[in-house]
Amino acid sequence: MFNLAFDNFNDILYMQGHGIYVWSVYLIGILMIATSFLIANKRIKAIQKKIKISNAPS
Amino acid sequence: MITAFIHKFSSPKSFVNLTEKIYPFLIIFGVSMLIFGWAWGLFFAPQDAVQGNSYRIIFLHVPSVIFAELIYFFMAVCALMHLVWRVKLAAYLIKSAAPIGAMITFIGLFSGSIWGIPTWGTWWQWDARITSTLILFIMYLGILTLHGSFSNLEKADRLMSILVIIGVINIPIIKKSVDWWSTLHQPASISVSGSSSIDPSMLYPLFISVIGLGFTLIALGILTSRSYIFTREKNKRWVLEHV
Repeated sequence: MFNLAFDNFNDILYMQGHGIYVWSVYLIGILMIATSFLIANKRIKAIQKKIKISNAPS
Repeated sequence: MITAFIHKFSSPKSFVNLTEKIYPFLIIFGVSMLIFGWAWGLFFAPQDAVQGNSYRIIFLHVPSVIFAELIYFFMAVCALMHLVWRVKLAAYLIKSAAPIGAMITFIGLFSGSIWGIPTWGTWWQWDARITSTLILFIMYLGILTLHGSFSNLEKADRLMSILVIIGVINIPIIKKSVDWWSTLHQPASISVSGSSSIDPSMLYPLFISVIGLGFTLIALGILTSRSYIFTREKNKRWVLEHV
């Protein structure tokens, strides 16, 4: 079940001509999901900072 | 009694406290399963006899479209809770889940289009499955636009919930489109109740990818909802104490 389906690294990249479709889909998918996490984290930090500043003793 | 129970366990404060504790486990488990499922599917699963290696897109495409529909269904349940029991958290969750739903529907449409090029010879076809999924994507954007167009946020929450419930009609249409109409898109290859037409050597990594993406998206949902809850409740005492 865990035998590599390809002979070498070039075969993995090329995938008999389908590599461009397969890898572009995964690249875009991973980028979009990772970016969503980064944006969400950034927003939490920004709102926490805003709340802290607005409630800081003057 | 039901109302009291719902309100007790659906306060934004308890939601934030609970999800902060489970978030690290969800993200680690989700991403690990996703890496395992995708590595298995991309490198070890055998080549498809008809589609060659292009079928390997399935390990991203199928989980994406499953969650594109499930997220909408979750939003519809939340919309019902908001309209019937006036649960504030339910509206916050709809608003936080909608961008994730839009993103994952886009990934589903994009991956399907790319898969169509070597398989069907076209990246787009106005068939029932693809068109109804495009409508789902537009619904997500519409929900976000509608909510963003009101300055009165309570009113925006109510109208958004109503729109979500109206749009839920599209979910069974997407699911049944390949059975009701003659479509270029193939009928379902995997089934929860019956037997699947996909070989176990491809089905297992697909199943693991679905679980991995599911947990990853729940973790993402926790993050987006946390930031939105802080934004909406920024003047509440518990938020001031929490941050």
